[in-house]
Amino acid sequence: MRTFSALVVALVAAVVAVVYVPLQATVRPPKLQYQRLVLPNGMKVILHQDKSTPIAHVELWYHVGSKNERPGRTGFAHFFEHMMFKGSRNVEPEQHTSIIASVGGQANAYTNEDTTVFWQTIPAQYLPLVLWMEADRMASLRIDEKTFIAEREVVKEERRMRIENPPYGLLNELITSHAFDVHPYKHPVIGSMTDLNAATIDDVRDFYKTFYVPENATLLVVGDFEVDTVTQLVHQYFARVPKAANPVPRDIPQEPKHTKEKRVTLEQPWPLPAVVVTYHVPYNGHPDSYPMFVMSKTLSDGQTSRIYQRLVYQSGLALTAFGSSSFLEQPGIFSAVALVNPGQSPDAVEKALIGEFEKLKTQGITERELQRAKNQFSRDYIVSRLSIKEKASQLGHAEVIQKDMASADGEYDTFMKVSLEDVKRVAQQYFVPEGRMVMRIMPRGGVEK
Amino acid sequence: MKLKAALTLGVFGALTALVAASPRLDPPWQAMSERLGSTGVQSRVEWPRENPPRPLAARPVTFPPYDVRKLANGMQVVLVSQNEQPAISVRMLIRAGAVHDPKGKHGLAMMTATLLDQGAGTRTAAQIAEEIDFIGGVLGTGAGTDLSFVNAVVMKDGYEIALRLMSDIVMRPTFAPEEIERQRSQALSALKVSTEDPEAVADRIIDRLIYGFHPYGMPGGGTPESLAGLTRADFQDYHRRYFVPNNALLAVVGDIGAAEAMAGLEKYFGAWQPADVPGFSVTEPPDATRRVIVVDKPNAVQTEIRVGHIAIPRKHSDYEAIDQAVKILGGEGANRLQQVLRSQKQLTYGASADLDSYRLAGAVIAETDTQTANTAEALRVVVDEFTRLQRERVSGGELEGAQDYMVGHFPLTIEVPDQIATQVLNQLFYELPVEELPRFRERILKVTPDEIQRVARWFIRPSQLSIVLVGDADKFVADLKGVGFGSFERVPIEQVDLLSADFLKRRSGGR
Repeated sequence: MRTFSALVVALVAAVVAVVYVPLQATVRPPKLQYQRLVLPNGMKVILHQDKSTPIAHVELWYHVGSKNERPGRTGFAHFFEHMMFKGSRNVEPEQHTSIIASVGGQANAYTNEDTTVFWQTIPAQYLPLVLWMEADRMASLRIDEKTFIAEREVVKEERRMRIENPPYGLLNELITSHAFDVHPYKHPVIGSMTDLNAATIDDVRDFYKTFYVPENATLLVVGDFEVDTVTQLVHQYFARVPKAANPVPRDIPQEPKHTKEKRVTLEQPWPLPAVVVTYHVPYNGHPDSYPMFVMSKTLSDGQTSRIYQRLVYQSGLALTAFGSSSFLEQPGIFSAVALVNPGQSPDAVEKALIGEFEKLKTQGITERELQRAKNQFSRDYIVSRLSIKEKASQLGHAEVIQKDMASADGEYDTFMKVSLEDVKRVAQQYFVPEGRMVMRIMPRGGVEK
Repeated sequence: MKLKAALTLGVFGALTALVAASPRLDPPWQAMSERLGSTGVQSRVEWPRENPPRPLAARPVTFPPYDVRKLANGMQVVLVSQNEQPAISVRMLIRAGAVHDPKGKHGLAMMTATLLDQGAGTRTAAQIAEEIDFIGGVLGTGAGTDLSFVNAVVMKDGYEIALRLMSDIVMRPTFAPEEIERQRSQALSALKVSTEDPEAVADRIIDRLIYGFHPYGMPGGGTPESLAGLTRADFQDYHRRYFVPNNALLAVVGDIGAAEAMAGLEKYFGAWQPADVPGFSVTEPPDATRRVIVVDKPNAVQTEIRVGHIAIPRKHSDYEAIDQAVKILGGEGANRLQQVLRSQKQLTYGASADLDSYRLAGAVIAETDTQTANTAEALRVVVDEFTRLQRERVSGGELEGAQDYMVGHFPLTIEVPDQIATQVLNQLFYELPVEELPRFRERILKVTPDEIQRVARWFIRPSQLSIVLVGDADKFVADLKGVGFGSFERVPIEQVDLLSADFLKRRSGGR
């Protein structure tokens, strides 16, 4: 019987393949053109012209994120991001976003494990204003105790709102805190309340002097401008920012090799149990990260994906289930998460999730699944390069995280070359029991039937 | 690689609030430096005091080209052609949504939309998924208050496949019994999760308070009882009534020319038969009445706050002025609530007010969240801002600031072809003239402080506000009296029933 049903599936697939589009992706996304320059003070500048609409996008990436935080100061990189809106020599406190808004633009910032990014989208004629303001806060931030204490309350509300109050808000934090033993990816980007309270004004000054320096910054300008004009403006405003006194520290504690499966059971006041399975994976841009990404797609992109089919559609084990690999500057984790439906058992969900990883090791994926993943990658590649903001984000990622501008386009071809053998080999290398963490988070007060 | 899927767990990297409000600024290129102090400036060099640079020459902003057409069967079509990236998106709107859920059948529009791609034409759910996933496409369906939608995104060589699937989905859904049961059980689980989510609970209760038993006040996601009772015949009836071409709008957007786009639509949707759409009547929403509901969620660390009342439908002669008044209260480019609650008092991470304007009615709703101990203070601030907007004339400078943002922001709203299509679809959906689109500047700037004052006087009603507080009630209800809200109704979160007049589940048997 087994053979028979397998054969039927194979036949259907074959017939379907004839009817459908050719197996090779035919639509090659256009390449991103860019210019890169480095100022004498070490700041990198990347320009990409796009004249389709008279607007421009400016992003300033500081290569500092939560992984650069000292012990006892988690959340500091993100907290500092807030401080960058507290005024500088020529811009009054809280006026940065207001000034941008007054010309119709938008300004914001985000912090993650690896970077802190400040961005603004504006009508193109205001490029001089934005570049001038970014240089102003890079060189002359105002740091005073009163705003520091006040802003800390805002960040605490942010933590309550995002993490502590919504059901499952703590999930990501619980996963990383157990999956890593040593590496600072262990800590949540927003930090803990205790550490936020412990931060001092001297920490703010130190952090600014250490990380908010030109050699740690990458400026991206994307949109409707003349290259000569912008190059001249960038030199005018940023070249006068002096180099840092000391090199930017890059000593990050590394995760030791795990030798034993870790099992964790916790309770939280959440409506349905959650089951999580994680494995350690390579850094973004490592040759093995491309087959890993294929497996992310096969496991969890679309209703055809294996995790959705196995846990949600066919068995109804889970309300939702998904898996994805982190793509961080340093080695991270692949995590699969399922919320257990009422009446279903966490044991069965765990078995099903681990079973999907084991299947990748023993059977790999099919030719058709590989092609599907490549087609989905092409689509993502195209739809994540539509707006000037998305383009800047891609270019910034290539420069800062991949440390290779050519990867902004070159990685499309790298991805297209991934083979079935690559996928199986990488699955066998990384999805090993000793690198695994299995976590169950049960509703406080028991499961309702 | 940097892709959306890779960022699933990255959403916890935090953003600062979008636009901090401020009083009207001088144009940034005017002298600012005289007014500046330099407390605490951390400068590595002697950084100069200087004025902001002047802007470069501006290029004119024009609304990009688009085409509006109609098939013989009445389906309205919007075409936006742009070939920067080799992708095409196809978006269909049906003029039917949760507003059409019959009494007792809440969740019908939502479930119908969910089931559309779970089997249609000759294909099963799995075959549809396989076909769209394999070409790297995305297919999505869903329902809102007034509309249902089906969207597809494909690479340019996938246009025909997208249309073939979409035509099956909207014209010939299967509603297979096993798929109905599968989706029903998923919807019930999802409902269970959302009834414990303070944000979702607050949103549902404020709608019920403001719209009463008008369909806009009803739970579009259904209730456990209503979801359990939906039958295959319900889905078929609903589909037959509303999914007709003369009740549909469709946009083709991206790397495709008009001739090819239209040829595809004729081929796949030309034979779709028009039919009369049954009219339906609803009772008017109730007049605004002051009422405070406290939903108790023990151990919540924050309180979700909603404050609002009835406003206007989208098609209304005062829409532009009221929209700008609400933006001053809590919208992008202005936002007094954010100014006071976050910047001055650090009571919250974010506060805003929205004008929700649908086809039949609308509401103004302010929202924020704050740690439990600050609940009463934050509520008072929000209510005071409604009062201030109604009583005090908005200064010319403040209005000008809000309008500068709106006018200046316009080119940012026409950057990618889907944004352009959205604007055109909105006009068509609400039966507003598309010719208005390029006249954004005049439309915005014609509103004066007098106009704002006139509309604020009649539509803002600070003494008739509906208020919802979801949080750890024991820790804040004692403070409510002190800020003028001593009278409230308290409902434990697990007892919330949106269909009950007092929001409380009946004990015996129940519905």
